Amino acid sequence: MIVCVAVVGHQNNPLYIQSFTEADDALKLHHIVHCSLDVVDERVNNPKKSSPTLNETFLGLLYPTENYKVYGYLTNTKVKLILVTTDLDVRDADVRNFFRKFHAAYVDAVSNPFHVPGKKITSRTFAERVSTIVKSFGLSSAG
Amino acid sequence: MMMDPANSTLGRMLLDEITPVVMVLRTPLVEESSQKNQLSFIQMLSPFCNFNNIDVPVRTASDQPYRLKKFKLRLFYASDIRQPNVEVAKERLNQVITDAGEKDLSNLCSEPLQIESVLNSSQNEFLPSWFQYFNKELVRTVSFSEHEAFDHPVSCLLAVSSRDEDPISKFVDLFNTNKLPSLLNDGAMDPKILKHFVLVHDGEEVSLERATKTLAEMRSTFGANCCHLLCINSSKDGSEEHENLWAAYKTDSSHGQQLRFFLSSDDLDELKKFVQDLSSKHIIPHMEQKIRVLNQQVSATRKGFRNQIKNLWWRKGKDDAPENPAGPTYTFSSIESQIRVLGDYAFMLHDYELALSNYRLLSTDYKLDKAWKHYAGVQEMMGLTYFMLDQSRKDGEYCMENAFTTYLKIGSSGQRNATRCGLWWVEMLKARDQYKEAASVYFRISGEEPLHSAVMLEQASYCYLFSTPPMLRKYGFHLVLSGDLYKKCDQIKHAIRTYKGALSVFKGTTWRHIRDHVHFHIGKWYGLLGIFDVAIKNMLEVLACGHQSKTTQELFLKDFLQIIQQTGKTYEVPKLQLPVINIPSVKVVYQDHRTYASQAAIHVKESLWRSLEEDMIPTLSSKSNWLELQSKILPKKFKESNICVAGEAIGISIEFKNPLQIPVSLSGVSLICEHSTAASEPNANNSIGDQNGETSNKSATSGNFTSDTSSFTLSEADVALGEGETVLVQLTVTPREEGTLKIVGIRWKLSGSLAGFCTFDSDIVRKKVMKGNRKSKRSTMDNLKFLVIKSLPKLEGFIHHLPETVYVGDLRCITLELKNPSRIPVRKLKMKVSPPRFLQIGHKEDLEVQFPACLERKSSRQSSLRSKTDKVSDDIFLFPEDTAIADGTPISWPLWLRAAAPGKISLYLSVYYEMGDISSVMTYRTLRLHFNIEVLPSLDVSIQISPRPSRLREFLVRMDVVNRSSSKGFQVHQLSSVGNEWEISLLEPTKVPPSDFLLAGQAISWFLKLKNCRSVTDQESASSLCPPEKADVNLLSGSKTLFDLYSSPLSEFHHYERVHQRISDQEHEDTVDFILVSRSQSEENKRANVFSHHICHRSVRTSSPIWWIMDGPQTVKHDFKEPFCAITLKMIVHNSSDDVVSIRCNASDSAVNISSSGNASAASGNEVGWHDLSLSNDIKTASDTPGARVVKPMSSDTVPPFIWSASSSTHYTLEPLSSRETPMEICVFSPGTFDLSNYSLHWSLSSQSDQGGDESRASSGTCQGHPFYITVLQQD
Repeated sequence: MIVCVAVVGHQNNPLYIQSFTEADDALKLHHIVHCSLDVVDERVNNPKKSSPTLNETFLGLLYPTENYKVYGYLTNTKVKLILVTTDLDVRDADVRNFFRKFHAAYVDAVSNPFHVPGKKITSRTFAERVSTIVKSFGLSSAG
Repeated sequence: MMMDPANSTLGRMLLDEITPVVMVLRTPLVEESSQKNQLSFIQMLSPFCNFNNIDVPVRTASDQPYRLKKFKLRLFYASDIRQPNVEVAKERLNQVITDAGEKDLSNLCSEPLQIESVLNSSQNEFLPSWFQYFNKELVRTVSFSEHEAFDHPVSCLLAVSSRDEDPISKFVDLFNTNKLPSLLNDGAMDPKILKHFVLVHDGEEVSLERATKTLAEMRSTFGANCCHLLCINSSKDGSEEHENLWAAYKTDSSHGQQLRFFLSSDDLDELKKFVQDLSSKHIIPHMEQKIRVLNQQVSATRKGFRNQIKNLWWRKGKDDAPENPAGPTYTFSSIESQIRVLGDYAFMLHDYELALSNYRLLSTDYKLDKAWKHYAGVQEMMGLTYFMLDQSRKDGEYCMENAFTTYLKIGSSGQRNATRCGLWWVEMLKARDQYKEAASVYFRISGEEPLHSAVMLEQASYCYLFSTPPMLRKYGFHLVLSGDLYKKCDQIKHAIRTYKGALSVFKGTTWRHIRDHVHFHIGKWYGLLGIFDVAIKNMLEVLACGHQSKTTQELFLKDFLQIIQQTGKTYEVPKLQLPVINIPSVKVVYQDHRTYASQAAIHVKESLWRSLEEDMIPTLSSKSNWLELQSKILPKKFKESNICVAGEAIGISIEFKNPLQIPVSLSGVSLICEHSTAASEPNANNSIGDQNGETSNKSATSGNFTSDTSSFTLSEADVALGEGETVLVQLTVTPREEGTLKIVGIRWKLSGSLAGFCTFDSDIVRKKVMKGNRKSKRSTMDNLKFLVIKSLPKLEGFIHHLPETVYVGDLRCITLELKNPSRIPVRKLKMKVSPPRFLQIGHKEDLEVQFPACLERKSSRQSSLRSKTDKVSDDIFLFPEDTAIADGTPISWPLWLRAAAPGKISLYLSVYYEMGDISSVMTYRTLRLHFNIEVLPSLDVSIQISPRPSRLREFLVRMDVVNRSSSKGFQVHQLSSVGNEWEISLLEPTKVPPSDFLLAGQAISWFLKLKNCRSVTDQESASSLCPPEKADVNLLSGSKTLFDLYSSPLSEFHHYERVHQRISDQEHEDTVDFILVSRSQSEENKRANVFSHHICHRSVRTSSPIWWIMDGPQTVKHDFKEPFCAITLKMIVHNSSDDVVSIRCNASDSAVNISSSGNASAASGNEVGWHDLSLSNDIKTASDTPGARVVKPMSSDTVPPFIWSASSSTHYTLEPLSSRETPMEICVFSPGTFDLSNYSLHWSLSSQSDQGGDESRASSGTCQGHPFYITVLQQD
């Protein structure tokens, strides 16, 4: 299950962070997302030789904590998309697919002329769309 | 790149910790002797046990000797050689942490470091020093375990004092197996241990002879080599100074000048020599020997292919044996234990190669035996050996990881071993700059024990900090995790320390959720410690947490207020975040020469007032004079200040916004001001912070609560802010004395206990001063600076009887009351009102008269229309010269209000007055009044005028009156046409609705006759011609009273109504104005209200400029025995235009009307029309001949019933506004009724007026004749 998704701006400022858990663990998820930025930075600054292309946006598993797995995705505007999931075995293809949709939603949200770049994304449409994507992620991985 | 492993932290740690252990057994008297120096026996020896350069040749398994440089002995009392009690150890560790926390108290309240400075600081100065100590203690909790040999004592030191009775038996007693550590007794280690006997000779007590005698005795008993005499306390006076050696042990005992120290330098030398001998001559050779022996044994049994196969087979066979959950036990005599001892001894003698090969051998054995704890221990040592050898790092790390996980695998008993292993592993990684990996190992070390986990997490966080590149976010996160654990263990100071560290990471970020959490908890914890100021400072950071959930906000606020309450005083906070003050919203309202009667007047645009007062206040030149005058009086620097008057309030309105979802109550909201008397310079450096203590005798500020504010008074307000509400708060300050007053800021009390400040001095202030832009370029602070001048008279104005709602047309008298409370009189009052269409200034006598009776026409009508020129030009009203107001005596002045149009109407009045006291800085002031009234629709009057064809210059007027009001009924009273040239009368008496009232929604029409009675010939005497009564029609049956529309103020209102209703292009003369007067009974005071409706500029003009009528007998009797009957008619033509009109009248007999028209038009050659110009001259003469036209119709076959005779075509010009009578004649041939409309009038404006540029008006035209019937009868 995806517990949290986040959009982090190019100055590492949170643009959108949404948890999908019942529990009141917003703070924890904030921390996890925040910490994973360290790993993103690391990945970006020292790209592995094994990574196939320089233009790869998907950063892979960032941060395996005890209970969560954190995946990252870096857009070409240096906006980071973060996914926190409790699923222990996640197929890479699923995550890539998720990020592709998530990225598209983000692009649509910031293309809104009333959106101020660098400010938090407050669009309700975006939130709805993201939650739909999150739900569909759960389904596809289950099936 | 790699440093010497021995010099790394881990290397030093290992050289310190993995060294031979010497078990010390001593009699109480030995201890007593050494305690004379406040040292235990071991402590006394300890400084000499550490050899940095012992330089002993060592030969172990190989033949090649090497020299041992660094060496250390660890001395332990036999009672201490056992596994430490878990609980005691835990207690001690907790004590270490607590002590460290207490020690840090000085840093507790310091500001969190900037992250940059954190990054720049070196590791050693940044890391708390107690970590090392704590880690060491933690490692020691697992010392003396059975599965490792390096803690097993290598030798035993037996010490007996020379004072002891029978020392030999004492030595024997000491090595009593009952008192020996369990390690020796339960078979974990060889009980045959190297013994060394020491006779401790206390020089004070016993003579040396007795000691040497005892020594000789010992030598004979125990052997010559292993006995030693140690002389101590040979100094008699106890004044020797050797503190530095024992500094490490002395810390807890009091610093002792009074303490005596009996060890002489000879004693010290002897101690040193003793320990060195013990090491180099006894222990090291013993270990060498043992290594060699063991090595041979191991080689014999385990080395070689045959042995290995055998061993493998043998161990395989053991698999079938039932598994012991604790793993198999190995006695000291087992080959495994011996290999372990061999490895450990080799390690301690720094022969790492030998150690490693043995460990390797052992680990496979243990693994096959599933002796996991032993296996882990050996793996651990392998890892360390790899490290010390500085080779195959991968293997080393693998071994450490293997050991770590294996320890964890065996359950809780291995936990602490795992911790130790982890700590060594961490150090290994750190030594290789693998900080990130080290951090994750720290993270793994943190187990169930929360306090230990806290320390480990904190250390992990520092690893993240020191990794390259620094991973600050992880650093922060682990600090927060660690802080939470510290808090869980009530280590609040540590918790604060870690959170503070985390804060330096989160401070600048936009991750507010995290930041708020950190600030809030730091604040809360400081509160628990009673350090309230820091607590509040941190709490303040989270107060404006509008982004948090409501419950969080409530929690924050509740805890915050709790802390505030604990302080027990009102706490003052600059820049309190709650509520949010919208500084750009600050609006200042003050009164200089402009004074306001009400709040409403303040909010009117300055430009509006200015245009109103334009002509009234002194002109620019005099204004500059006034400024000059001012500049003489005032210091130059104040010239830019705003001016206000002592005793008059300065108002500030400011927005407070509650960012929270919970209501917030504010009390005592007031301004902070600084006042200084005119003479003193205001202290520019006054900052809010230090104002509290400042007691300048000349300046008073309100920054503190107790300050003397006699020089000004402040208003206070209490505000309750709802969820997310924004409230505009009005505050005032009233200066009492002359000088300068500066509004510095604002203060308020939150929830009754927290005082907040906000100063306006920041650059972000973009304040609008309501008073216009006279000095708009100045900075904000100047706008908040006021020059207070001496108290001046200030007029107060009020309007009585001002209704809130009126109906359109309502005309009433309202009273303006002016009052001057001051004793200084004001004079030269002037007044101006706006808009004049609604408001007119009355006359003094209007106050006395009865309204509306005063409007009624008196029997004798005095001189009509008061000319507007009676009044002051441009509508400035001058009060009578002698008007001077003072001492609160009010004067009243009437004003006329007429609601001219529906809607919300703003009324403006401005009163100008000058000070009676010339000496004052300000010579004049203006009082501005502003009112709003709502005007409701009432009667809607429309008038249609059409010319009456049968009468010259008469019109039919249809007046439709609709009551548009919602409920009110009106009584239509009177319709008047304005001007002297018009007469109006009812065409017929109209049915007046029952009850005379036109109720809401009803409509009624009247038909009236309007006649222009202006003399045709003489214009000047026109006014006298028409009796004024005829201009009015009383529409109300049974009422005789008529209103005089020329009386004031109706005439003035009419004037402005005319101006307002003026048709854009130009004013025509031929228009008429009407005034409809209606009345109604107002409910409240039974007073009749009078309404006037003005309908102006109704055009009476038709398309042609001429009017004519045919006049003649209606019936003619004629005896048709005569051939024809000639009837004479006359035609009166009137030119109503302003221009000269040339007129031609064509009469044509009906039958030939069309056929002859061509000729006729040709005949009138000088017309501007469609005609042939070339003929004009010939025919012009002909057209003047009357006979010519008569002939033509005669020539036709059918004779018409009548023909025009005489001048059937005439031509003349008419002067403007003149009439002319033209005779006409017809000849009738048979009796009958004839329509004489078969003529036409051609008119043409003469060219002279063409420059008027009036394109809309035709310059010529043709009018068909009006029907005129004439009946000719046969005369009998």
